[in-house]
Amino acid sequence: MRLRRPRAASVFTGLVLVCLYAPIITVIVFSVDKDPNLISWKGFTTHWYAQAFSDPQVRRDLLTSLEVAALSTVISLAIAICAGLWSRQAGARARRFFDGLTYSRIVLPEVVFALGLLVLFNKLHIAYGVGAIVLGHVVFNSAYATIIIQARLASLSPSLEEAAADLGANRWRVFKRVTFPLLLPAVLVAALLTISFSFDDVIVSQFLGGDNAEPVSVLLLGMIHLHVTPEVNAIGTALMLITLVTFATAGVITLLRPTGAGQMLGMGRRAASE
Amino acid sequence: MAADLGSPPAGPSLPAVSGARPRSRTVGLGRHLLALPGVGWTVLFFLAPLGLLIVYSFGSVNLLTFKVEFGWTLSNYSGIFQKLYLEPVLRSFALSAGATVACLLIGFPVAFTIARAKGRRQALLLLAVMIPFWTSFVVRTYGIYDVIADNGPLYHLLHSLGLVHGYIHLLFTPIGVGIGIVYTYLPLMILPLFVALERIDPALMEAASDLGAKPWRVLRRVILPLAVPGIIAGCILVAIPATGEYVIPQILGGGTTLMFGNVVSDQFLNLGNYPFGAALAVSLTVVLMVVLMFLRSRSYKAEAAVA
Repeated sequence: MRLRRPRAASVFTGLVLVCLYAPIITVIVFSVDKDPNLISWKGFTTHWYAQAFSDPQVRRDLLTSLEVAALSTVISLAIAICAGLWSRQAGARARRFFDGLTYSRIVLPEVVFALGLLVLFNKLHIAYGVGAIVLGHVVFNSAYATIIIQARLASLSPSLEEAAADLGANRWRVFKRVTFPLLLPAVLVAALLTISFSFDDVIVSQFLGGDNAEPVSVLLLGMIHLHVTPEVNAIGTALMLITLVTFATAGVITLLRPTGAGQMLGMGRRAASE
Repeated sequence: MAADLGSPPAGPSLPAVSGARPRSRTVGLGRHLLALPGVGWTVLFFLAPLGLLIVYSFGSVNLLTFKVEFGWTLSNYSGIFQKLYLEPVLRSFALSAGATVACLLIGFPVAFTIARAKGRRQALLLLAVMIPFWTSFVVRTYGIYDVIADNGPLYHLLHSLGLVHGYIHLLFTPIGVGIGIVYTYLPLMILPLFVALERIDPALMEAASDLGAKPWRVLRRVILPLAVPGIIAGCILVAIPATGEYVIPQILGGGTTLMFGNVVSDQFLNLGNYPFGAALAVSLTVVLMVVLMFLRSRSYKAEAAVA
């Protein structure tokens, strides 16, 4: 049994891995393929990248994505650090209530709360655009960041902070000189993940951008709908690289330092409720 | 606040840090301020929009002025049962359930192989499963578009292997959307399965086969029962987000194979029927929460049974 069965499973695993990578590799190959009809390999070219990134719309949308990612990450981290510090000294019931709020922001389908925000902003006359997208991204990004920072703080022994307090440091100084440096890898990893989630988001970005703002993921979706051109593959490869590099960097940091993000690195943005 | 374990009971019995106690009390109150940004954001930009949707879902649109009138009608909810809307709703559940089962069938042998691998090999296999998951969701879905396109690589592969003769059409069909869901969510099934399978002591399997159990019987009587928590966790991670999926049917459905999420957003973005759209959104949320609670109660039971 232990000779035959596992071998079949190994072959199957290899096949599944090939299938997991095939679409990704297809996008990359098409992005450097001379054939504009995307049917066969006609030689290597960087022409589609040059064409895509000289397009003013693509450049503007990349900047929009960057702006949204930066703003939503900063706000999410601030919320998450406060939440982490709070939950360390919170009672069990308050903590359960708070965690319920955190997880519900991840579990609920994004379509639902994005449409709710659409209606709310419409009612309150809040303009659609970068600001509205940021408000929406913080809803889920702050939840992910909170989970990571809570996990890191929970594993942190308070003895160093107590020592600093005994030596006369006030609370702010303890936080600045002891807690925050210990927390820094987790903060960095949380930032990288929220940047990646922000760049890759479509739903909030599309619904709340209106006519004023279009992140690059939404541009890509529109281009796929209109007609697929080789530039789509070039933009897609670039977007893939951004998300992969941020995630991989977060993974490397987690391997080197405790960050409390181990599980989330396995699960990514679509992880729901465990 | 009743459970503020940090501060000792009031009283003069602990003289050494007498100066510190009043301070820690004010700080204790101040420290609850730290929960405020998170709670505030959730209330303003998560609970308020949901509440608004619930209010809208009982209202109606005035057909003359196109303004929303608030009220207490259930007609939006009964409207969901028209064939036009019921079809994509049921399709969402069917696709999500089918994709979850497919992920389980495909993911189990993979997770088993990774769980049985040793050391560096295991780490590499896990990484290989995770890397696609770290790359952009939109682009991976679009990669499927490339692969299953009518004249795409999959077609050429199947053709050259002689498995298909003539024309196959996958893009913009429910099957195509299903393939997309299975592909993008598969790692979410593999990881919890791996965690569950890795915990199983290999000695249990050896004992079973030494006692004469055939491999199939070892799988059914030893491995599967112990893997139940992982199976349920994986099903939650796949089924819940897949039912509310918006991007995959948007890219691979081509407007014909719409799912729940697309029907809901269509009401808001294109048709302007906010009350009906709100009723759809609220229904989706309620159904998903019920499914989630059911699966979680199962998972607690399974967890208890395994432990």
